Amino acid sequence: MIKVEGLYYSYSNDDNFAVKDVSFEVAEGEIFGFLGPSGAGKSTTQGILTGLLQLQKGNASVAGYDIKNISRKMFNKIGMSFEQSNVYSKMTAKENLSFYSKLFDVETRDPIELINLVGLGGKENIKTGEFSKGMKHRLTFARSMINNPSMWFLDEPTTGLDPAIAADIKDIIKEHNNKGVTVFLTTHNMFIADELCDRVAFIVDGVIKLIDSPKILKLQYGKKLVEVEYVQDGNVKKETFSTIMQKDKDLLNQIIADKEILTMHTKEATLEEIFIKVTGRGLV
Amino acid sequence: MKLLSSFKKELILASRGFYFYVELIFALVILAVLLFAIPQNFSGTSTEYLYFNLPQEGKEIFKNIILEDDLDTKSEMVEIKAGGKTFNAELIVTDESEIYIVNSEEAVRMLAETHRNIGAVLELDDNNQLHYKYYLQGYESTRLKNLISILFNESTDVLKERIENQDVRPLSTGYEPLNDRENTIPPLVAFSGSLMGMFIMASYIFLDKKEGVIKAYAVTASSVWQYLMSKIFVVLLTSVVSGIIITMPVMGFSINYGLLLLLLLTTGFFASSLGLLIASFYNDLVKAFGVIYLILILMMVPSIAYFIPGWDPVWIKIIPSYPMLQGFKEIILPNGDIAYPLIASAGFLTAGIVLFAITNIRFKKTLSV
Ligand SMILES: Nc1ncnc2c1ncn2[C@@H]1O[C@H](COP(=O)(O)OP(=O)(O)OP(=O)(O)O)[C@@H](O)[C@H]1O
Ligand SMILES: [Mg+2]
Repeated sequence: MIKVEGLYYSYSNDDNFAVKDVSFEVAEGEIFGFLGPSGAGKSTTQGILTGLLQLQKGNASVAGYDIKNISRKMFNKIGMSFEQSNVYSKMTAKENLSFYSKLFDVETRDPIELINLVGLGGKENIKTGEFSKGMKHRLTFARSMINNPSMWFLDEPTTGLDPAIAADIKDIIKEHNNKGVTVFLTTHNMFIADELCDRVAFIVDGVIKLIDSPKILKLQYGKKLVEVEYVQDGNVKKETFSTIMQKDKDLLNQIIADKEILTMHTKEATLEEIFIKVTGRGLV
Repeated sequence: MKLLSSFKKELILASRGFYFYVELIFALVILAVLLFAIPQNFSGTSTEYLYFNLPQEGKEIFKNIILEDDLDTKSEMVEIKAGGKTFNAELIVTDESEIYIVNSEEAVRMLAETHRNIGAVLELDDNNQLHYKYYLQGYESTRLKNLISILFNESTDVLKERIENQDVRPLSTGYEPLNDRENTIPPLVAFSGSLMGMFIMASYIFLDKKEGVIKAYAVTASSVWQYLMSKIFVVLLTSVVSGIIITMPVMGFSINYGLLLLLLLTTGFFASSLGLLIASFYNDLVKAFGVIYLILILMMVPSIAYFIPGWDPVWIKIIPSYPMLQGFKEIILPNGDIAYPLIASAGFLTAGIVLFAITNIRFKKTLSV
C-alpha cells in the first residue's frame, strides 16, 4: 500500500534534513505505527506521502500512485487526519463535513453518522468556532473518514483527548482496520501504538532506527529487563537495565558491585521502555 | 461541480464574515458622498476668460465696470498656460469669480478648452453693435444657458427672434465632458470595486491560513486552483455589486452596463489574483500589510493624475490602475471609446491569468503539515 525508498526532505533545501534516508513498506490491511519524539520527522514523512510537501529526493508510492506526480484521483482513496485540527470555524460541524464530502468523486459517508461516531452527536449544528480543542480534533478525525478511504493517514489522532475518548478513537481505528483499511499512524502514545499496530517504526532525528512488530520486540526484550533500586549519595535511585545489551550489562555489574541494592526484579518491557533502550531517547 | 460547492461554501463563509459587508457598506457610503456631498460642479467661484475685441476706450469702460467689483479694485498682470502656450492676462478677482482679461480670441478659446471654464469675446459687429460670443463647456446648467440667451435683450418682443438668430456651434464634436460628480466615479469604482478586492482577497486567505483549512483542501480529489477560484468568484461578486451600487444611481441607464460588467470582472480578477499572490508570501495580514500598503499607494498615483489634467507623465500609464481609471471613464463618457475598455479588459484578463497561474504553483509549493 505504501512503498518508500531513500526518502530525504529538507525544509531549507540544503543538507539540513528533517528526514534522512527513510525507507519502509506498509502492506495492505496493516496498521503501521510511526513512533518518535517531537521533531523526529513523523509529520514531515506523512506530509510527503500525502502530497502536502513536495517530494525532494527518493521514491514513494501510495495506494498505487507515484508521489512524484500525484494524481488528484489518489485522494479518493486517501483519508488524512491532521495533527492540528483544521476546520472552518464559521461553519457548523455538519456544514464542514457536508462541504468536504463534495470534494470527492466517490461515495461519501453521512456527516451526521460520522459526527455521532466520534461522540459529537447533538453538536452538529454548532459552529466549530465554539468547539473545544478536543472537539475540533475529533471533527478533523471524523472528516478523514468521509470518503471511505482505503489508506488512512492519522497524525496524532488521540493527542489532547481524555483517556476515555482516546480509547473510543482507538476502537474506531481498529474497527476500520478490521474492514480492510490500511492505517499509517503517527503517535507519541505508546499504549495505543502497542495495542493497535501490526508493526512500528522508531524514528529519531529524521532517521528510522528500527522497524518491527511490537510482539517481536517484546519477545526480544521480553523479561529481559531488570529494574534496580539502589542507594547513591544517600538518595534512592531506580533504573532499568537490559540484560541483552552489553552496555547495560556492564553498568548493572558495576552497580551490583559498588552500590547498596534495595530491590531488584525482572519485568516485562513496555513499548516505551523498548523505544528508550533502542534509541537512547525518551519520547517527549 | 466541486467548484460550485466550493463557491457556495465561500459565499456562506463570506456572509458570516466581516469583509463582505465592509465592501458593500463602503460602496453605499461612497454613493451617499457622491449624491449628497459632491456638487455636480465643484468650485463655488467660477473662472472666466474675456477678450474685448474693442477699441481702447471700449476696453477701458468694460474693464472699469468689472474692476468695481474687484476685492481691492486693482487688477493684476499674470501669465496663464494653455495648450503648451503662455498667455498674458489681467486678473480681476471678485467674490464670485476670477476673471482673466486676455488679448486674443485664440487665448480665450484655448484657455476655456484646457481649463474647462467659460470664455467670452466682446466685439463690434458691422453695424457697430456690441456682439457677444461665449465659449461654453456643454455641461453648464440649462438655467445658465437660458440666462445667457436672454441677457442682452432689452425687449421681450425681439427676444424670440433674437434667440433664434443666435448662432450656437459645437467646437469639439463627439466629446461631451462629464460633470464633476460623474467624473469622480471612475476612481471610486476602481478603488472600491477592483482594488479593494485585492485587500479583501488577501484577508480571506489569511483567515484560511490561520485555520489551516487549505491543507485539508489539498488532500481531497479537488484541486487547489478550484479552491482559489471559488474565492475569486466571491470577491468578483462583491466588486460587481459595489461597482453597480456606485455607478447606477448616478449614471442611470445612460451607459453600457455590459461593458461596465466586463471591466469590473476583469479588473476584479486581476486585483484578486494579485491579492492571492501577495497572500502566498505571508502568513498573516500584519506581515503583508507593508506590501499591500505600498501597492495601494502606487495604485493611487494615477488617480491623482486623473484629477490634475495637466499632469500625465508616460510612466504613470504602466501602473495598472491607470487603464482601470481610463477604462471606467470611457464607459461612462456619453460618446466614450468602446475599444479602450475592451482592450483594457483583455489586458487585465491576461495579466490576471498569469498571476493566477503563478499563485496556484506557489500555493501548491508552500503547503505545510
Ligand atoms: N514548516 C517547517 N519549516 C521548517 N522546519 C520545519 C517545518 N516543519 C517541521 N520542521 C522541522 O522538521 C523537523 C521534523 O518535524 P516534524 O513536524 O516532521 O516532526 P514530528 O515528528 O511530527 O514532531 P511532533 O511529534 O512534534 O509532531 C523538526 O526539526 C522541525 O523543526
Ligand atoms: Mg508531527
